[in-house]
Amino acid sequence: MKNRTIILIVALVAVLPSAALAQGAQGAQSTEERGAQSSIPFPTGWRPCPRCQNNEDRRQDTIKYKVQSHQFDPHDLTGVWGYDGIGRAFNTPPDLTPSGKQQHDSTFGENAPDGTPLHSKDTSGRGAGAKINCDPLGWPRLYTYNYGFEFITLPDRVIQFFELNHTFRTIWTDGRKLPDDPPSPRWLGWNVGHWEGDTFVVESSGYDERPWLDASRPDGGWTHSDEMRVVERYRRVDFGTLESQVTVIDPKTYKEPWVTPKAVTKLVPGAELGEEFCVPSDYSHFNDDIFSAISGTKKK
Amino acid sequence: MKIWRRTAFSPFVVVVAFVLLGSVASAHHGRAGYGNEISAVKGTVTEVQWKNPHVFIAFDVKDDKGNVVHWLAELSSPATMLAAGMSRTTLKNGDEIVVKGKVGLEGAPFALVDSITKDGKAIVGDPNAEGRFINNTR
Repeated sequence: MKNRTIILIVALVAVLPSAALAQGAQGAQSTEERGAQSSIPFPTGWRPCPRCQNNEDRRQDTIKYKVQSHQFDPHDLTGVWGYDGIGRAFNTPPDLTPSGKQQHDSTFGENAPDGTPLHSKDTSGRGAGAKINCDPLGWPRLYTYNYGFEFITLPDRVIQFFELNHTFRTIWTDGRKLPDDPPSPRWLGWNVGHWEGDTFVVESSGYDERPWLDASRPDGGWTHSDEMRVVERYRRVDFGTLESQVTVIDPKTYKEPWVTPKAVTKLVPGAELGEEFCVPSDYSHFNDDIFSAISGTKKK
Repeated sequence: MKIWRRTAFSPFVVVVAFVLLGSVASAHHGRAGYGNEISAVKGTVTEVQWKNPHVFIAFDVKDDKGNVVHWLAELSSPATMLAAGMSRTTLKNGDEIVVKGKVGLEGAPFALVDSITKDGKAIVGDPNAEGRFINNTR
């Protein structure tokens, strides 16, 4: 143990100057994609939220926390991951049922005089076009756009926290089964999980049918019914890499399961979740005084 | 304190314009009300609205007849602005700024920010790399 400590100290002494050098060298080219400024530092002992970091911060943290060579337990998904999960994976749906087509058609909003869609009838407004009303994003939409999320692995459950809307869901791993007839629908569903090898499989049902699968586009969104079941597969490929895939099974809306491509989300070891609430009074001001004027939908 | 009117519609200020490709997906609202060209507007900060979903800077611009026009400059979310090097105290009321961005159609006093400069120093984005900030934030 003592030898290990000595080795660790020697390694740290060896690595720190190079990390500092790397930081200095990269700092010189800190013209990262958003601009020429460094990010705002957080108070000592506190870490920025995933989206409060720029690419340079993340590169430096990858070195600082030795992400490349870090040991990991593939059955422990714990960590802050940033961000978005599967991203914009719901682009090309399977064939829609007549009911699914009807639902999709109901998502279209107003058009500009030239026919360009101005906005959809998005239930939450997050994404594009519609007024934001702070309705929950629902699932799996929250896994397409979320500002970063954190897994906490406990003996009988896995908790998934999300920065966007400051919300969470519980994935029960204590052996319980999904209810055949849930007493009440949930925006984020009823969730249970189990391991298949090194893959964490989450199954869910009992969804409220109001939210959409994905962030809205001005020309409408993809819906689901209250009969939707979702299967998610997560695999921690290495300490810093989470692979995931989502399957939506909703025969009332889609003729076949909608399987997303596998997506990779990276660990953000130097970040911690912040507080990204959707505040109705703030959004009311945004909708009434700003959004409508900018979007061109303000009644003149 | 000299304040200039928005450049796209005034002969008194140099206009820097680039035609940009498309708008960024995933914005919190449609951007149909903004034009595609980037213009420069000079004004005085009257309020920093550090709120979700997007930070806004209210600033006053004097038009070529001397009338004060109230403008709003739209940035990204507070979290994204922290990553981009701006906090809620970076700009204060009374600061003179030059905002470059896509401005509102038909003279609407809105600007989707690509850069903000104060005292010759870039506060947000890079005025010499036009389009970069707008195209990489949402």
